[in-house]
This record gives sequence, C-alpha cells and structure tokens, in this order.
Amino acid sequence: MDRATLERKVFDLVGYMVTSGRNLIDETPMYGPFRLVDAASRLIDILEQEGIASARLSTLRKRIDAGKYAVMGDPEEFVRYLDAVVDGVVDHIDSGTSEGGEASRTST
Amino acid sequence: MELYEAIHGRRSVRRFLPDPIERAILDRIVDAAIWAPSGGNAQTWRFVVVTEPERIARLRTVSPGLLGDPPVVIAVCQDIDEARAKGSTLGETFLAPVDSAMAAQNLILAAYAEGLGTCVIASFHARAVGRLLGLPERVETVLLVSVGRPAESPSPPPRRTDGVIHFEAFHG
Repeated sequence: MDRATLERKVFDLVGYMVTSGRNLIDETPMYGPFRLVDAASRLIDILEQEGIASARLSTLRKRIDAGKYAVMGDPEEFVRYLDAVVDGVVDHIDSGTSEGGEASRTST
Repeated sequence: MELYEAIHGRRSVRRFLPDPIERAILDRIVDAAIWAPSGGNAQTWRFVVVTEPERIARLRTVSPGLLGDPPVVIAVCQDIDEARAKGSTLGETFLAPVDSAMAAQNLILAAYAEGLGTCVIASFHARAVGRLLGLPERVETVLLVSVGRPAESPSPPPRRTDGVIHFEAFHG
C-alpha cells in the first residue's frame, strides 16, 4: 500500500472514530462498545493491508467481525460476545513473543 | 413479489457485492418512495442518489452507521423550510421525519422486490453529510439508505409479540 492510500485509510478510520464520538452522545448506549470493537477491527484490517500482520491480530479481527452485529438484535448475546473477545485477548496476550505470533511485515 | 413476502423477507444488509445497480432500478425504487403517504400531502422529501464510489467513501467517513461497501447510498432528505411553510411546527418537527421514514420503508421494500439488499441508517453527522452532498441550508438529511446486491443473508432477529399488540384497549 502506498503512503497516500495508507493515509487515506487512516483518515477514514479517524473520521469514523471522531464522528462516532459526536454521534454517540445521542445514540443507543450499546453502540459505544460496538463502535470501539469495530474500530479495532478496521485498524487491524489497515495494518494487514499494510503488510503488518500477526496470527493473534488476525484471530481477534475475525472474532470481532463474527459477532459484532449481535448488538442490533440481542444485547445480552452482544455482552457475551464482548466477553469472548476479551477472553481472546487474554488467550493471546503472551503469544506475540513466545508462540510464533510476532507481528511480521511483508512487502506489499 | 407478494407484499407480505417482501415484508417478512427483507433484512438489514451490511455486506454488499460491488456490482453497480442499473439506473432503471434506482429510478423505480425512488419512485416507490415518493408514493408513500405524507402528512397533509406535503411531499417535502428530497432524495439524493449517490453512486460515485469516491463520494460514497467520503460519506462513510462521517457516517458510522454506514457499514459495508454499498455501491449506492440514497440520502432521504427534507426541505425543512417547505415543511415548516406547509405544516407549521408539526410539519417541521414531526411530519418531516415521519414522512421520510414512510418513504424509506417503501424504498427498501421495492429494493427487496428488485433483489437488492438495503440498510436504513440514522447514525451519521447530518451537517457533514449535507456539506458532502452539497445540500442547501434548507435541506436536511433524515436517513441514509445503503443499497446493493446482498453478499449475506442475515437471520431475522426475533420479533417481540408479548404485550406489543392490543385489540380494542391497552391491556396490562
């Protein structure tokens, strides 16, 4: 990814986060955690496109994307899903240096 | 398509195929929107159909609810000056958003009948969207509707029925 494309993607993410910050004042409170985990997923996606990837980040992104829309239909399931995502963070918290999950950078 | 099939089959779609949507289809679904009822027959809605990928990308930046990558976004807007002139305070504050919602419902059902997926979006920064769409000050965006060929078939969330519908009088 060239620098201009990367800057554009980061700008879009920042715009998403900033606009969410404003809109969440008036929105359903449960959308706050949704926007946070969705922003995390978008950040990992940008890093992967930039060639900065790791097994644990990829696993987290997939886990986030698999259940994030539960917020629209079942708030209790969404809370359980968030707990599972956090469990995933803890599961992999040491793997960046000890389980072969260290972030790697590939040329793109 | 039978109406009840559309009502029960429509889903909020947040993953889309990149295929462009033919102009004739877009014309039909927006025409369906303007056949919705409006308070006092005011018809103060305005629709901006956006198909340029770059413009949609800019809208996404200031619209957290605009998820996925739809090939079309339709802004359902209201001419607030005209709504006020026709309906006074009620027209501006109540009928304008309600009329927009009814128009959007027609639009998404018509889109479903065309084989398209949609999602109605209220999470956006209205002033920012207005700037990006070149809206005059008197025209405000009420809803965005993402439109495209669906890349997912979401399961329907459960519908509450207990205590929701009452006949003759409210019970309980």
